[in-house]
Amino acid sequence: MKNFTIAKRQIENISVLDISGELDAHTASQLENSLKALIDEKQFKIIVNCARLEYIASAGLGVFMAYIEDVRGLGGDIKLTNMNDRVYNVFDLLGFPTLYDIHDDEQEAISGF
Amino acid sequence: MSPLTPSTEERHSRFELRTLLETSRLLIESQDPDFVLNNLLLITMGKLLVPKGMILIHKPGDEAYFASKSKGRGWLAEDEELKAEFPLSVLETSVIYGEDFKEVFETIGIDPGSVLFNLKTSNHHLGFLCLGPKGNKQPLTEHEIEFIESLSIISSVAIANSRMFQELRHINRRLDRKVHDLNTLLELSKDFNLMVDQNDIARSFKFAMLGQMLIRTFFFALDVQGDKRIIAISGINDEPDADQLDKLFQLEDVNHVNGAEDCPFLEENNIQLVIGLRFQNEKIGLVGVGQRANKEGYGDSEVNFLQSLGNLALLTIQKTLLLEERIEKERLEEELSLAKTIQEGLLPNPIPTIDGFDIAAINVSSRQVGGDYFDLLKMEDGGHLFAIADVTGKGAPASLLMANLQSMLHALAPLNVSLEEASGRINDIIHDNTPADKFITFFWGKLSPDKKRFKYVNAGHNPPMLFRENKSEPELLEEGGVILGAMPTLMPYSCSEIEFEKGDLLVCFTDGVTEAMNPAQTEEYEEDRLIECINKNREKNSSGIMQAIIDDINDFSNNIQYDDITMIVLKVS
Repeated sequence: MKNFTIAKRQIENISVLDISGELDAHTASQLENSLKALIDEKQFKIIVNCARLEYIASAGLGVFMAYIEDVRGLGGDIKLTNMNDRVYNVFDLLGFPTLYDIHDDEQEAISGF
Repeated sequence: MSPLTPSTEERHSRFELRTLLETSRLLIESQDPDFVLNNLLLITMGKLLVPKGMILIHKPGDEAYFASKSKGRGWLAEDEELKAEFPLSVLETSVIYGEDFKEVFETIGIDPGSVLFNLKTSNHHLGFLCLGPKGNKQPLTEHEIEFIESLSIISSVAIANSRMFQELRHINRRLDRKVHDLNTLLELSKDFNLMVDQNDIARSFKFAMLGQMLIRTFFFALDVQGDKRIIAISGINDEPDADQLDKLFQLEDVNHVNGAEDCPFLEENNIQLVIGLRFQNEKIGLVGVGQRANKEGYGDSEVNFLQSLGNLALLTIQKTLLLEERIEKERLEEELSLAKTIQEGLLPNPIPTIDGFDIAAINVSSRQVGGDYFDLLKMEDGGHLFAIADVTGKGAPASLLMANLQSMLHALAPLNVSLEEASGRINDIIHDNTPADKFITFFWGKLSPDKKRFKYVNAGHNPPMLFRENKSEPELLEEGGVILGAMPTLMPYSCSEIEFEKGDLLVCFTDGVTEAMNPAQTEEYEEDRLIECINKNREKNSSGIMQAIIDDINDFSNNIQYDDITMIVLKVS
């Protein structure tokens, strides 16, 4: 199993997922399950803190694409924060930052809700 | 301007040189054309005290200019466009005066007293720096012209450089994206190799597609031997029904959706592109993608990428299906080998010995399990029961029926029922329980407790051969009735009885012996060869005779066995 973990925190009505390790085709479904669980619990204000995310593949980014519009449709959002440059570059190459919220730090994202 | 003393002039020129040097350093180091142009305009306006100035930038291909910078009233406003194209004579002149190029000034709409400085590199015209008349209405001095010309050249080079730099950055970016695309392909091909579950593969493919294309609507359908179904889907509420799937599979391999498809599923979900994937030239995969979040369309490179990744996913799934098939086959083989062990347990082992008799028996299945059966049971009264049978067909189905017969025989044997009556009952049960084309040839006989008499019933089985001492022609044990299972017992089975004498030889066999084929498949072994072989080996003991028959058959058929072979050889000693 690849090294990828997700930890969940709650800051008032905002759910924060701390993801770390490598998010690729193998580990994408773990993130999918976590996002699905939040949506099932009607937690639509979601921050994904990528501070310890070392690598992301297109499939990892695809998980966000699959759920972000749904969550926005339900009045919430998925905001991404604290990416390292390498990870940000992948998002940037695929054109993600112009469409969705990426913040330098978590506090900024929290005030964005 | 008042005439200058040489020393003032020198000071001026030194000042201009310093400005040139500083400005050029500033401009050349900047990679922002906007900054360069702004500085060019402000420096020249400030230095020459010109209240009106503007920079026109050429838009190649559009036959137009636009005012990149504009200060002072009455001229083009910033970003305003001017439709104009000038002759080469203008574009090759560095400094353009109103009196020489009246139409140019009119076209641009500037006062005749203004001056245009051409912004150009050695091979590109970039635009013009337009300076209005000086505040004091004095014409520009030669020095000033030279100074501005120099600045214009430096600025042009800086702009050209920064444009090149931006172009490079753009190309680099596209290259990065391509590298990323390739990486995705490469990485997924590695990932796919590690996956054995087609749902995992389909899901990974889906997420990679969503991320790569920046989409949320996606479906991936497969046609597995005519069974078309969706195996991964995203952003779609209702899956297409069978009819719609059929229709989708009939679309062109690359179908940009335009409404002509007449497929509500595509329209309702805003699917933009449907791509067919082929394996060995047969379309067995289908990928549909929705609107991209960045509103961009699907160009050749996106279609290419979709096809590449789709084919990769399809091939991997195909591989897993083959693997599943192989695993299933191995499982069946394992089961068959277990069944073989069970079936072997249904045959007597070891073969019971009977005083005064020399007995050998063998059963060789052409497959793992077979439909031949033989048995030898000791009865409570001290007698012995012999049986040999052949179920139609081969393999697992035949073996089931064989097992059924074995259990009936063992259940009936201890009861006080005659062979004829028991044969009738067995026939009825088999007939009731099996399809009309399944039947059993069956021979069984009971050796009396004193071992002298042998009573038998033959239900359509190859007649066992009884060789009396000193006789080469066998008696055939044929008495009995119809084969088991073909019809209900309308006529009771009949039986017959023989007396064993010393030196008698009884050979029971199934049709695998007499119907063994030669390698050319043109001739059967047949009874005559069997009788000849037995006579030749008559003096051997029962297993010797049996082995001689097997060897002779193998010799005849060149060791190719098509049917189950079973024999019981009994010699009265």
